[in-house]
Amino acid sequence: MVNCSFCGRKAVYVSKALGRAYCKKHFLEYFDKKVRRTIRKYKMFSEKETIIVAVSGGKDSLALLHYLVKLSKRVPGWTIKALLVDEGIKGYRETTIKDFLRVAEELSVEYRIVRFRDELGYSLDEIIEIGRRKKLPYHPCSYCGVFRRYLLNKAAREMGGTVIATAHNLDDVIQTYLMNIVKNSWEKIVRLGPVSGTAGHPRFIRKVKPFYEILEKESALYAVLNNLYPRFVECPYAQQSIRWHLRKYINKLEEMYPGTKYSMLRSLLRIIQLLEDKTNKIIEGEIRSCHICGEPASHDLCRACTYRLELEIMDENGNIIKNMDTGALGNQLSI
Amino acid sequence: MVRVKVKIIDTDQEWLVEVENGARIRDVLEKLDLNPEEYIVSRNGEVVAEDEEVGEDDLIILYPVVSGG
Repeated sequence: MVNCSFCGRKAVYVSKALGRAYCKKHFLEYFDKKVRRTIRKYKMFSEKETIIVAVSGGKDSLALLHYLVKLSKRVPGWTIKALLVDEGIKGYRETTIKDFLRVAEELSVEYRIVRFRDELGYSLDEIIEIGRRKKLPYHPCSYCGVFRRYLLNKAAREMGGTVIATAHNLDDVIQTYLMNIVKNSWEKIVRLGPVSGTAGHPRFIRKVKPFYEILEKESALYAVLNNLYPRFVECPYAQQSIRWHLRKYINKLEEMYPGTKYSMLRSLLRIIQLLEDKTNKIIEGEIRSCHICGEPASHDLCRACTYRLELEIMDENGNIIKNMDTGALGNQLSI
Repeated sequence: MVRVKVKIIDTDQEWLVEVENGARIRDVLEKLDLNPEEYIVSRNGEVVAEDEEVGEDDLIILYPVVSGG
């Protein structure tokens, strides 16, 4: 039997990197201390906040919602609301929405669901099909990421949010770090800190990552131990992403050389620090307002409007163009 | 030898695995070419660390850590 390093009870988790084993009670204490330390260290929240938790219905975001609702009981100035962006991925998102609704109800948390189909006129499945037909060079995850971030910021603002909390964990962050090294995208790496969106734009809501130092395995264990673990379902587009492969390699490295992940996070934080003075040179130009929608943009148009024009699902005045040919998908309704 | 049943939750992936006496859950996963880093393990309904020894007829349920998209 593997025993807890603190009380001798049966362990549920062993951190080889830290050389410690934890029983359920001590794992939950360790988890809580680690997240609270991250929140304090990076000054994520002030005493009065309306925190919009970005949820997908996956284990990480359900864990974050559960954790922040619990923590908010100790902070009278905090209001927690949940926001789910439904991209319309058939056979995937329907399942995770059900899991989200179950947890949201149990926690009695106010929530909103915004749908690609309502906001953009088309589901992600349809957008990908239109993009393929037009031979646009974008990957499914690029459309998803751009439109999701766009709607998250817009809907969070409409909900009165002062800060958006996302469930990105340490694994997500270091995978993105490596992906951007591969792509030579240093302007994206300098934005990979635990707090982003400090650039002054009246429509930009600050984003924080309270699970920045939490391993994906720890977040999954928190979800299992708190009966939050949702039905296992994988995004059908996930395996088309370079992230999927990097994740496998990093996990192999961690298994062979415990502590690799923490070390990579330290490497990221160091490079962000080293690049701090040069950030203005790396991120070209200042933050502007999109000429079409008015949302924050680094060029004349924001990325979401650029994509929509290229896909021809929106005209230059920002009106949705209906009836784009989406082939057989045209008859499918996202929920 | 010890025989255990391994299942990945919510999938039809299921195996019967034979390992040496004294083998750990980690050894069972290795035999299946699964990385312990990617699963939370429950043995006979109880969450355990992957360094636990397995016993005859144990039912191991794996919760994938790398779900989502």
